[in-house]
Amino acid sequence: MLMEFQSNNASLPQPRFLLTNLLMKNLLRLMALNFNLRPSLNQYLKSNEGWLNFSASLRTENLSVNTAIVFKDGKASVPGTPPEPCDIALIFRDDKTVRKLLSNTPTEQIFMLMKSELRAKGNMTYVNLLFFLLNLLLKKKTLKLMEKEKQASAKQARELVPQSRPELSQVLEDRKNHRLQGKPTDPGVHFLEDPYLSAFSLQDFPRLGRFLDIHFTQKAEVCPERPKILTDWFKTHGFEKNSQGKDWIPELRQGLAFKHLMENRRPIIRKDDLIAGTTTTKEIGVVVYPDSHGTMLWGELYTVPHRALNPYDISEETVRLLHHDVFPYFAHRNFKEWVRDKYQAPLCQAIDERYAVYFIWKQAALSHTIPDFPKILSMGTTGIIQEIREKLVREGLSAHEQATLEGMILCLEGLTVYSQNLASQAAFEANKESDPQRKAELENLAAICSQVVERPARTLDEAVNAMWITWVGLHMENTNAGLSLGRLDQWLQPYFEADLQNISQGEERGAYIRHAIELIGCFYMRCTDHLPLTPDLANWYFGGSSSDQAITLGGVTPAGEDGVNDMTYIFLKVTEMLAIRDPNINARYNREKNSETYLKRLCEVNLITTATPSLHSDQAVMESLEEFNYAREDLNNWSATGCVEPTLSGRHIGHTNFQMMNMVAALEMALNNGLHPLMNWNLGPETGAVEQGAFKTFDDFFEAFTKQFAFLIDQSVAYNNMLGKAHQAIRPTPLLSSLIEDCITDAADVTHGGARYNSSGAACIGLADVTDSLLVIKKMVYEDKSVSFSDLKNAVADNFQSEPALHALVTKKVPLFGSGSDEAVAMADRVTKFAHDHYGSHTNYRGGKYTVGFWSMSNHVIYGTLSGALPSGKLAGKPFTPGLTPQPIASQNLLDNIRDVARLNPKNMNNNIAFNVKIVPGPNDSHEQVVNNMFSYVKTYFDLGGMQMQLNAVTSDTLKDAMANPENYRNLLVRISGYNAYFVTLNRDMQLELIERAQYGL
Amino acid sequence: MKDPLILDIKGNSLDDGPGIRSVVFFKGCPLSCLWCHNPESKRRDTEISYDPKDCVHCNTCLETCQEKALSPDHPFFIDREKCALCMACVDACPSGALSRVGKPMAVEEIVREVAKDKPFFNTSGGGVTLSGGEPTLFMDYLGQLVQSFQDQGVHTLLETCGLFGLEDFLGKVYPYLNTIYMDIKLMENSAHKEYCGASNDVILHNFRELNKRYQDGGIEILPRTPLVPGITDTEENIQAIIGFYKECGVKKAQVLPYHPLWQEKNFKIGIRDYRGETRAMQSFLDKNRLQACRDAFMAADIQLV
Repeated sequence: MLMEFQSNNASLPQPRFLLTNLLMKNLLRLMALNFNLRPSLNQYLKSNEGWLNFSASLRTENLSVNTAIVFKDGKASVPGTPPEPCDIALIFRDDKTVRKLLSNTPTEQIFMLMKSELRAKGNMTYVNLLFFLLNLLLKKKTLKLMEKEKQASAKQARELVPQSRPELSQVLEDRKNHRLQGKPTDPGVHFLEDPYLSAFSLQDFPRLGRFLDIHFTQKAEVCPERPKILTDWFKTHGFEKNSQGKDWIPELRQGLAFKHLMENRRPIIRKDDLIAGTTTTKEIGVVVYPDSHGTMLWGELYTVPHRALNPYDISEETVRLLHHDVFPYFAHRNFKEWVRDKYQAPLCQAIDERYAVYFIWKQAALSHTIPDFPKILSMGTTGIIQEIREKLVREGLSAHEQATLEGMILCLEGLTVYSQNLASQAAFEANKESDPQRKAELENLAAICSQVVERPARTLDEAVNAMWITWVGLHMENTNAGLSLGRLDQWLQPYFEADLQNISQGEERGAYIRHAIELIGCFYMRCTDHLPLTPDLANWYFGGSSSDQAITLGGVTPAGEDGVNDMTYIFLKVTEMLAIRDPNINARYNREKNSETYLKRLCEVNLITTATPSLHSDQAVMESLEEFNYAREDLNNWSATGCVEPTLSGRHIGHTNFQMMNMVAALEMALNNGLHPLMNWNLGPETGAVEQGAFKTFDDFFEAFTKQFAFLIDQSVAYNNMLGKAHQAIRPTPLLSSLIEDCITDAADVTHGGARYNSSGAACIGLADVTDSLLVIKKMVYEDKSVSFSDLKNAVADNFQSEPALHALVTKKVPLFGSGSDEAVAMADRVTKFAHDHYGSHTNYRGGKYTVGFWSMSNHVIYGTLSGALPSGKLAGKPFTPGLTPQPIASQNLLDNIRDVARLNPKNMNNNIAFNVKIVPGPNDSHEQVVNNMFSYVKTYFDLGGMQMQLNAVTSDTLKDAMANPENYRNLLVRISGYNAYFVTLNRDMQLELIERAQYGL
Repeated sequence: MKDPLILDIKGNSLDDGPGIRSVVFFKGCPLSCLWCHNPESKRRDTEISYDPKDCVHCNTCLETCQEKALSPDHPFFIDREKCALCMACVDACPSGALSRVGKPMAVEEIVREVAKDKPFFNTSGGGVTLSGGEPTLFMDYLGQLVQSFQDQGVHTLLETCGLFGLEDFLGKVYPYLNTIYMDIKLMENSAHKEYCGASNDVILHNFRELNKRYQDGGIEILPRTPLVPGITDTEENIQAIIGFYKECGVKKAQVLPYHPLWQEKNFKIGIRDYRGETRAMQSFLDKNRLQACRDAFMAADIQLV
């Protein structure tokens, strides 16, 4: 069942008695012995349903090491000849890497995997199980190594900045005290006299201050609730077949399981909160989705509290639950393994599991979308259930369609029960409460949760609580990765206005506005109550990302009128005061409709928070989507999803982050006739050898690049479509489907294309690095003929070490993207057009088109690490630029960068972009002056046609100080490429990349 | 007077007048202030610059130079006695460590270059700043340039040392300007001669005249004083400047705290001035001294911008 993609080991002899082989064999024998003889260890070979049986081969590429360990019926053994095939294989590059693994720290082991010194094959759940078993043996040593690694890293940071500089963190604090006042110029602002709400600061909201403190000090904990309740239900009722032995219709199974989950979850009201309900039972909980990527944590269950990056607590009870009960049950019942089993470990999956080329997010989630909140707010679950029932009684529904609709009803019923349970809990707590103010709040919550989500919301408090309860439900169903909130200012304004219609007194109105701010603040803090489950490898692959729950503000109404309203400014006030990474705030700016007052406020909030909101031009985003002929009112209603990507609110499954694609890999493969150098894998088509003069013209080479790129696109699309089928089988999402337009009418789940609009979106990484490399080749090799292609290629392969002059030439003398060169912009457009057209030629498993964007989350760092030197002059291992941001060396004048990015054709970038701009306020610049400058950059960029821009307003000195003295900067927000993160939680490489980037200040 | 050489056009400047601006640096100045932050702008002629920070030591230039003027053993790398300014080494240098200082540019070329940033001027209230060196050294050329900018609707600000023929200036340049920043450095004429290389008579006269016009509704003129430790920031000089401002009725002024970042520029163009090698000249202006100067102006009701 395991397919072999590398054939370089087939004909080699098999040396039996080499030292490393013997060492490995003896180690495995020792491991087997321990597990066989020590009952305390042996118990871990058992799941609640029987023994954990699997075989693992450990070998080198040329079989100089070739051994295996077999776990069967509670016994571990090391057979003389490894069984063929094993369930999993760990394949080392050579003997040296075998020995390296044994002495390396966990982080170094991760890099061995990512750098292809070691590769894993077969069922990844068992790979993680093997690491879990190894860690049981080596726990003490591992923890010691981790501690050592942490200390070394802290020491390194302190060497960077020997003296703490508290004045630098003070500068950021001081920004909060300068606040502009705004004029009420926006037609949609009816009640706020100063829309900037400059009178308010965090000190006015002690409740929010306390929540913020918890957010920054409380360590997250892995929550067993969801996996436990669901696993129990599936074990009783079956997964593939029901208790009568019939095949389950997945939608119905999921509906029943979801209802059971919601009925049995603990209804929790956080101390002091104005919003009832939690996603987990922990103050900050890590949600486990064993049906998607949850089992990735298996290997780390005992080390995760001790790791340096994003550690989570986990109780012994939870470890045992996950190990003995949950993970074994889901070993094959997750998206990735379903694909491996169903499609016999396809090539497209093997590429993904080598890290260097692309990553397909669908193995974790399909959740990048915006549910139809207005629907549940205006109809309640009762109204939606009524709509579904009307559809159900119609004739001609297939069994699958019927089950789909029934699944939706079950989910909505489950959601209703959960809110009723919250109402009872609130009433119960109100009874016990001695503080009269809190008692009244709890009584109010009891009344609210009795009304919503069952019936329509009538007030802002009811609407916000209904949204949160729905949000909790959606996250119990769907992985917390990029599921997004949408246009909350538009959808909540009617409730805000209705409330104020009933208040005539000025003073009471003031108190109400204050309450509205506090309520939205509570909502933001509720959104921080859960974290995605991140294996340590992902800390280096994606670092610092939370669940990226995007909120979108401003823009135009569906009818095309100015959408900025009172609630827009209330959300901005909350964004300014809390300055937290998630929810991820995005602002639409419509050049024709929105005011400068609004745009200036966006800049001010960005300055105070240092990194949020992300700014989008309505015009450019809508232009990029023109090709799909979406209805105008739907297009007007777009929201950012996850990071920056546009989704049409409430009616569009755009899975806008189905993948991260390393475009530079295609370039490296074109330079090497299809071979990927780091993986040493003849992966792509043979497109010609540079050394043999295969490319007569630059266009010949460009074609080779596009052939390699097309090959990678085709593979990634194939994997995505297979994973889509896996979602249909493993986890359709009836609750989400009930909140996406047309799913009810068509009686189809979103995973089956039930949404009105369908698409899948890619993020292509390294546009500036690819464009600049192509420019260097075109200019120097083909036009000026100042270097031969072979010599350039050799210099690249040599990391320019023996060619410093050539390195200087390519970086200094070729007009790069971002320098104001027409040719460079044309080259970037040529690359984006190819990507757009080739992705666009594919149709996904839901019948939608593929879209393409140019942003990078944080993967520009790791993909840079996993790439060699480039013709652009990038050195081996150095990061790419974030998103499509030009290289800092392209121009001394930031305005050249801004102009070039603005000139790119948005029609090739229909999954949006991320363009980072650094703002470095001078010591003598007034707050207003800095805001005005920022306003000018953004406004001009949009006037010139720019699409998206994100501003970081922090100096490199401050970042260095933060790296060395993280305790002074727990809330230092930085925008990576599409999402926000706390600087101090980032891995070292990402911190250094940000520092280096910041040195090229304005 | 032949056309000037232009040192550089620096876009996205936030410190040379209101809004986002492009600064055009002229080469050549009638003064030669010791602390000049752009020492490469003093001479009118083309020069050659060597920046060791950018050098990759590929030795391409050594092979290129016909005059054998380049040597790693030379304190400035370039023997400027031997150098014929043929620029062959500059053209051959891959890293840009060797570069030409100053190039002739037609008025239209400058306007075209600057106008690229016009969208940013419009949203920020910015424009172009003419600086140097001393733009008024080239009065005819400057006149054409500012007129072109006015035609383009670009806000134009002149930074000047004040040493120019007033009538010529009033006829050719003044009508097309939006704002003038003029340096008032040292009131004591002998000190001015010593440190700036010329008398301050004309400068003070010009300031009086232009300020009078400002008070009568003409364009704004803002006097600026670089605070150089031990030279211009002395108690006597500051008080003398305040006295002069009072006499002229100046309400608004600017002070520019000294920084030593110009020193390495001297090396690049092969200049060494021992007077700049004191400790004070190699440090940033003391914060307390800066505050004392500011306080003195404010005590005299002169607003510092």
